Amino acid sequence: MARYTLRVNGERREVDVDGDTPLLWVLRDELGLTGVKYGCGVGLCGACTSHVDGEAARPCVKTTAESVRTRITTVEGLSRDGDHPVQRAWRELDVAQCGYCQPGQVMAAAALLARDPDPDDAAIGEALRDNVCRCGTYPRIRDAVRRASRIMREER
Amino acid sequence: MISRRTLLRGAGVGALVVAVPIPALAASDELVPNVFVRLDDSGRITATVPRPDTGQGVRTVVALMVAEELAVGVRDVALEQAAGDTERYGSQAVTNSTSVRQLATPIRTAAATARCLLVTAAAQRWGVPVAECTARDGAVRHPRRGRLAYRALVPAAAALDPATVPVELTPPEKWRLLGKTRDGRVDARDIVTGRTRYGIDSRPAGSLVAVVARPPWIGATPQSVDDTAARGLPGVVDVLTLTTPADGQGGVAVIARSTHQALRGRDALKITWGGGTPAADSRTWLADLRSALPAQSPVTGFERVYEMPLLAHAPMEPMNATAHVRPDGVTIWAPTQDPGGLRTQLARQLGLPATAVRVETTTSGGAFGRRIETDPVLEAVACSRRVGAPVQVLWTRADDMRHDSYRPMSVHRLSAEIGAGGVPVRRAHEVATWGLTVLPFFSNPALIKASGDHFPYGVPGDVTVTVRPAPLRTGFWRAVYAGQFVYAEENFLSEIGTRSGLDQVALRRSLLPADSRLHRLLDTAAERARWTRPPARGTHRGVACLEEYGSAIAVIAVADPSARRVLRVHAAVDVGVALHPSGVRAQVEGCVVDALSTVLGAQITVRDGHVAQSSFGDYAWARIGQTPEIDVTIVQSNAPLGGLGELAYPPAAAAIAAALAGEEPVTGMPFGTDVG
Repeated sequence: MARYTLRVNGERREVDVDGDTPLLWVLRDELGLTGVKYGCGVGLCGACTSHVDGEAARPCVKTTAESVRTRITTVEGLSRDGDHPVQRAWRELDVAQCGYCQPGQVMAAAALLARDPDPDDAAIGEALRDNVCRCGTYPRIRDAVRRASRIMREER
Repeated sequence: MISRRTLLRGAGVGALVVAVPIPALAASDELVPNVFVRLDDSGRITATVPRPDTGQGVRTVVALMVAEELAVGVRDVALEQAAGDTERYGSQAVTNSTSVRQLATPIRTAAATARCLLVTAAAQRWGVPVAECTARDGAVRHPRRGRLAYRALVPAAAALDPATVPVELTPPEKWRLLGKTRDGRVDARDIVTGRTRYGIDSRPAGSLVAVVARPPWIGATPQSVDDTAARGLPGVVDVLTLTTPADGQGGVAVIARSTHQALRGRDALKITWGGGTPAADSRTWLADLRSALPAQSPVTGFERVYEMPLLAHAPMEPMNATAHVRPDGVTIWAPTQDPGGLRTQLARQLGLPATAVRVETTTSGGAFGRRIETDPVLEAVACSRRVGAPVQVLWTRADDMRHDSYRPMSVHRLSAEIGAGGVPVRRAHEVATWGLTVLPFFSNPALIKASGDHFPYGVPGDVTVTVRPAPLRTGFWRAVYAGQFVYAEENFLSEIGTRSGLDQVALRRSLLPADSRLHRLLDTAAERARWTRPPARGTHRGVACLEEYGSAIAVIAVADPSARRVLRVHAAVDVGVALHPSGVRAQVEGCVVDALSTVLGAQITVRDGHVAQSSFGDYAWARIGQTPEIDVTIVQSNAPLGGLGELAYPPAAAAIAAALAGEEPVTGMPFGTDVG
């Protein structure tokens, strides 16, 4: 075990864990950021999608040791009050069913829109390809990404 | 006046509590209390949600119903998720698409009773007729006397004898919230900010975490366990061999301080396994089912055999449960489809009075039938009892994929005598399948037939079911047996239609009574799909129907077979009156994606004794880019409120397969891939 300093949601957080501990379990078990969801542990389902240095990443396949000196944003830190355009669009279109995959979907969509403000269906399909939703909310997710894009344009 | 027996009592000073018994779907004289709607003396409204929300949206519908009847906004209703307690709530099981249809009348009645008591209390205070008073926005109003907030009326309302107060439900034409499209899920903000607490997020302080080494092949049990290395690892607290069936499915649990330490501990176990069926192969099982069919079908003419695979539930939240066993009782935190049943089972199994077992119901990250089972809870109880602390048992995704209770394989032989005009005039449907091992009485052929057989068309004939012993764990999977039966029947009818050169919609219309729900829904779906226009070049269309769970649906799918791509799915659905239209559409959309996934390629196979798939890389669930446009039309009717969680899956799968097949016959699920 060793002490690692992580930058999570704009704060410095210290944890005592083995360096090979997946970032996912540090965020959930040590830091209580349970919005980061465990779905597969091997980078296939996207439920834990968070931002590392502003890009969508999978904390389940990143170690703690390699995550120091990166800037980590979880769904809890995406916006102060839950009103990021993506979060608003998700509510306006009533996207969620069970909701378990949605923090990951929201984070993947926010990262997509940050680099491509007006994605077409193909770009959405590509960026969110490995974010699995077992309830089948995909049509609404697609519409909500477009809605969020419009909200961001109107408020720019 | 509501004729149902209404119980009402004051609980504490100045609180108004309305409890109405929940009737079972079938008429029954059993009194099954209580659904609560509570107003405290500050006017705060709290509704108890008796059934778990597994994604079907029951919390939202309960909030809408209570807000509607109490004439307040949906955000004025606080929700409490009921703990397991069948004495109080009756069945709490999320099964057979019953949540909303069984809860609607009792919960609306409870809230309407509260409103009528508040209005009566205000009328008495003002000395005016009740008929001159109305409830709106949390207050009772009178044209000349002004308004009285609910909070000022609660003590007087609680003191009234409810038997003297007529209760009227708000009629649909006066609804402000129910049946409207603007309200989304009440939990939406929590969901998109990560605040919703699922079972996996519900560890009490001081909890340990356990993961279980599970049999490497079906039925294997640990013969010897060397846990020396595991126990030497940091954070590992204990290692425990779990026996079946008292402790779940069996295996060796490693209990540690954190998830990662438990996983590392599991990796360090050295276990010798024995017994079971190390050579099991799902292709052999399918061959066995094929050979279990009678030598000859009872109807001669046209014939087709359909083969259906194993399917896993794979909810996004992996199986988990947390237990704290204390000397005087046990507390469970679990994403369960049946908190009441779980509590009853645990009390019986642990020899405790029900009052010593508390089951806290968490939100479930999907369920699809898997969480009606209690195996993860039994594991957690065994682990917690061992270490005397709260323990969460967490399944990895591979654990979930390889140790599920699978949808049974089946083989269906359909045969029909074709009459004048190419239309079937007599039919037979012979099924060979397995029962559901998680509920042994579900291996009764009559029950399987009743569950799967919903053939709506006017073609005389019969369905016969042969049941073979299940070679692995099988369980309830969305649209239990209907998924398999309807898929075979509708694809068979489609192939007959194609061979006879018939219009698929016209064929079905001709076989349905003109005044039936399905007839009307077919018309609506056909209109939405612009059926009378020829399909675009290279595209094909598939049609299927289902009436079940008290509801009815017609589905038309449009696909490009050469690209193996589904373009559009049109569904027309009749649930009686849709209480939450966005939720109705969501359930249909979800079933369509399940259908797409299972037709395009998701299946479980068994090789060398174990399930070959381990995660979403090889259990090929559909992704966003494969998802068609889904157009759901809600057709209101006078039918009693119907269920919807499962309805759309079987016909959507059939319609999608028929559309993807084009002129080719469909012979199984997935379409165009080897089954098993």
